[in-house]
Amino acid sequence: MTTPQAPSPGDGAQRGQGHGHGQAGDDPEERIPGLARERTSLAWTRTAISFAALGGVVLRANVVTGLIILALAPVIWQLGRMTRGGAPKASDRLPAVPVVGATRLFAIAIAITAVALLCLVVAIFGRSVPGALR
Amino acid sequence: MSWSSRLASLLPGAVARDTGGTEPDPRFTFANERTFLAWSRTALALVVAGLGIVQLLPPFPGVPAGRHLLGVPLIALGAVLAVVAYAEWVRNQHALRRGEPMPKSNMPWILAAAITGMAIVSAIVLLISAVR
Repeated sequence: MTTPQAPSPGDGAQRGQGHGHGQAGDDPEERIPGLARERTSLAWTRTAISFAALGGVVLRANVVTGLIILALAPVIWQLGRMTRGGAPKASDRLPAVPVVGATRLFAIAIAITAVALLCLVVAIFGRSVPGALR
Repeated sequence: MSWSSRLASLLPGAVARDTGGTEPDPRFTFANERTFLAWSRTALALVVAGLGIVQLLPPFPGVPAGRHLLGVPLIALGAVLAVVAYAEWVRNQHALRRGEPMPKSNMPWILAAAITGMAIVSAIVLLISAVR
């Protein structure tokens, strides 16, 4: 198994020339593109877990709403998998340019807004469990 | 630019048709996406906090609407934050494509002001319920 090599100090500038941008940073983690993709993938996973956690909380107040939000978690996770493409290879210096994926991010924003509105309805009209945290 | 055209420019179709400039370094695109996801999680955390306050906390003595006063604005802020985060992502991607300076973000200011406001309201509600 080959260990990814940190690029030499000039690599970032050379890569940036074709894009009209500067270096991504001097931190080796920032300079290895495969890791950027992996971190983004992990961020999607954390977001999906956040949805699941919210679903768990809502489940206590309203079962149907909670289940709807819980069902969104795997959908979000699948949306995140679309970012990954293939598994990054050690030889990847610059990955294929990812699809901007505005639709995926738009879907997340809409989902959170819809979930917040649902929670607003549950908060105002739902049956509360006062003292559950006492 | 009018509000309707601004909103139209945020739709995924309009973003995908934005072919101005050049495709940015993928690392910048990934970083922009992670920032959006981080704000999304912040929005979800606000919704959880608001719902937890309304549904799980015991009522404040002397302030019957205290829980709703604290929880409902947090949930509403979560909804607003998700939409603003998407708009910021579009603006940042637009600037990245054209090699322009990153646009100034109002989101940290909005969040800081909201948290400060909620802290003050919480303190007032707690003081009133402690006195009664």
